[in-house]
Amino acid sequence: MTLLEGVRGKCYSVQDIELEEQLKRRLQMLGLTQGTQIEVLNCKKGGSVIFKVRGTRFAIGKTTAKGILIGGEKDGKDN
Amino acid sequence: MEKTINVAFIGNPNCGKTTLFNAYTGAKLKVANWPGVTVEKKEGAFEYHDHPFKLVDLPGIYSLTSYTMEEKLSRSYILEDEVDVIVDVVDASSLERNLYLALQLIELGKPVVLALNMMDIVEERGMEIDIHRLPEMLGIPTIPVSARKKMGLDILMHAVAHHKDKSPSSFEHHHDEKKRSGHPHNHHKECVVVYSDEIEDKIDRISERLQAHYKELTNVRWLAIKLLEQDAEIRQKYTLDLTDLIDRSYETDIINQKYDFIEEVISECLVNKDEKAEATDKVDAVLTHNIWGLPIFFGIMALVFFLTFNVGDALKGIFEVGLDWFSTSVYNGLQLLGAGDVLISLIVEGIIAGVGGILTFLPNIFILFLALAFLEDSGYMSRVAYVMDGLMSKLGLSGRAFIPMLLGFGCSVPAIMASRALEDPKDRLKTILITPFMSCSARLPIYVLFSEMFFPQHAMLVAYSMYLIGVVVAVLVALALKFIGKKKQVHTLLIELPEYKAPNARTIFIYVWEKVKDYLAKAGTTIFVASIIIWVILNFGPTGMVEDMSLSFGAILGKMAVPLLSPAGLGYWQVVVALIAGIAAKEIVVSSMTVLYGIANISSQVGMSTMVGALGAVGFTALNAYSLMVFSLLYIPCAATIATIRKETNSWKWTGVAIALQLIIAWGVATLVYQIGSLII
Repeated sequence: MTLLEGVRGKCYSVQDIELEEQLKRRLQMLGLTQGTQIEVLNCKKGGSVIFKVRGTRFAIGKTTAKGILIGGEKDGKDN
Repeated sequence: MEKTINVAFIGNPNCGKTTLFNAYTGAKLKVANWPGVTVEKKEGAFEYHDHPFKLVDLPGIYSLTSYTMEEKLSRSYILEDEVDVIVDVVDASSLERNLYLALQLIELGKPVVLALNMMDIVEERGMEIDIHRLPEMLGIPTIPVSARKKMGLDILMHAVAHHKDKSPSSFEHHHDEKKRSGHPHNHHKECVVVYSDEIEDKIDRISERLQAHYKELTNVRWLAIKLLEQDAEIRQKYTLDLTDLIDRSYETDIINQKYDFIEEVISECLVNKDEKAEATDKVDAVLTHNIWGLPIFFGIMALVFFLTFNVGDALKGIFEVGLDWFSTSVYNGLQLLGAGDVLISLIVEGIIAGVGGILTFLPNIFILFLALAFLEDSGYMSRVAYVMDGLMSKLGLSGRAFIPMLLGFGCSVPAIMASRALEDPKDRLKTILITPFMSCSARLPIYVLFSEMFFPQHAMLVAYSMYLIGVVVAVLVALALKFIGKKKQVHTLLIELPEYKAPNARTIFIYVWEKVKDYLAKAGTTIFVASIIIWVILNFGPTGMVEDMSLSFGAILGKMAVPLLSPAGLGYWQVVVALIAGIAAKEIVVSSMTVLYGIANISSQVGMSTMVGALGAVGFTALNAYSLMVFSLLYIPCAATIATIRKETNSWKWTGVAIALQLIIAWGVATLVYQIGSLII
């Protein structure tokens, strides 16, 4: 599944990033490396997603969210 | 006197770097641009224990690659010989991500001192950082500081002074034995981050070749790593054929392994890392709410403008009384001294009227910038990007493009510069073209004055409507550009949402003071000179000094453009002169009007009624006034904005497009308003 399909409040692990090289590197440098745990904090119909990775919150747009492959759904720390 | 120690401040965005920088230099910083680019360069000097220090605040960046202008600039600056020590400011409450840049800096081989900022927040949250183990693992001095509470500042500079000749060294690792392999060179004693055997092998071989080929290299290991990452800049500089070693980009591997090391550091140095910032999540649940987020944002903006107009106007009264008194005293004083009529006219009706008239609007502008500083420093600004992302994507832009537009309410120049944060060049160009339609603070005096003169009952409503028209025009232009561009929608919102914090009084003070200073400087230079020029062209004509202004040079010039502006209800030579002069700076529209009518205190009741009477006499009604406001809103913001557009787009063609767009739209909308209005009334 992709980050776009992530459910608010759940945690996932990053499996792969399928985006153009430069954007992919940027995301990796921000800590979105393979296997990293991320938590979906908010998402809306328009497609933008707020997630937390390594203690930092980021907001990303739809196309970017679509290119981030995630798996291993777990309940977030809130629940 | 000892040699000045040059310190470069570097760190992630939102790490509190600027607050820390301000804590050392205060408001005495020097703001300039980096040569060739419009990235702000902040410099400050101070003395500590008789040591002269020079601090340079570098732009906030996440990594030291060469992908963005900010990154390239920071990297080349710290690689220069001039920098003695790098201070890496780290947000201790988000250590994990911040350490990535730290590791890259350490790899450079220059002296680095780590400033662990926001330690107070870390403690509040019940987290603990092992500040003995951390420097051991990183090999650099690590100083806990709190820029907001001004703690640890002396110790940090002490460490800088003592560390200026030392490169990262003497650290201890307790790596897993599993990871410690039989690699021929054991790098665990020399390097902080040790990569996999495959990569270390390549680094060694590339280093050997580099050293054989280029003598006197000081940071071979770093260069080798950058070459493995296929860094564009470094590859250009070192054109050695290494294709047998570098078969692909190893950047992903290198990033991953740096983060593996960071995880090791975090697990050893951070206690209670799961303690999370509940407050921010709670606030975000409201402010970024899927339904309420947008109305809340609009409510906040309405409040900002309410404060700007209402509270600002109340304060403006005080300024007016002061100006009245000053103007009268100068007039009386000059007469007492027996000064000639010409000189008195120049000083009272030219300079004091022109410059003073602008100064009375200072309270409005002060409040507007105060509000913008508050939104920025609290961390709300980046939420606006998320909240607006849905709407902005309909215009073919990312939510991030809304930040420059919002800043455009303050001043178009920094707003256009802020568009740099957009990665896609087409998005950036689009944002640059529409941002000037957001009504900047220099246009505020025009609305305040004309709406109070001609719409005394609904002054605020009329002023609000200008902001609305500006936004609507920006939206329509964006839509038109989207239609013309036919670009497939690329949606690249990517923005950090920092934790909310109570805005720091000092940071806000410095931000607002910078803007107020700019405004005062503008009043003292551009507007001062323009007021004199306008006074001269209005008081002199082909026959020498004229009694009747309609025979002056200004009138002759204005009359030429009258037919062009008549359809918009602006066919008065006085108005034309004011509008042309307003290209230097928008406030000058107001100061030229005051000079034209020789009104010493334009914002006062007497001043306003004099002006209304004078304008009414030539048939200039409320409708003409509204049309004038619309035209002022939309036409060329000011010479400085044009210069900034030229610099940012690096193209005369696009600068020309921007100017043409502004003039055509201003004329079109003002004409529309006037013609439709004439039919109704």
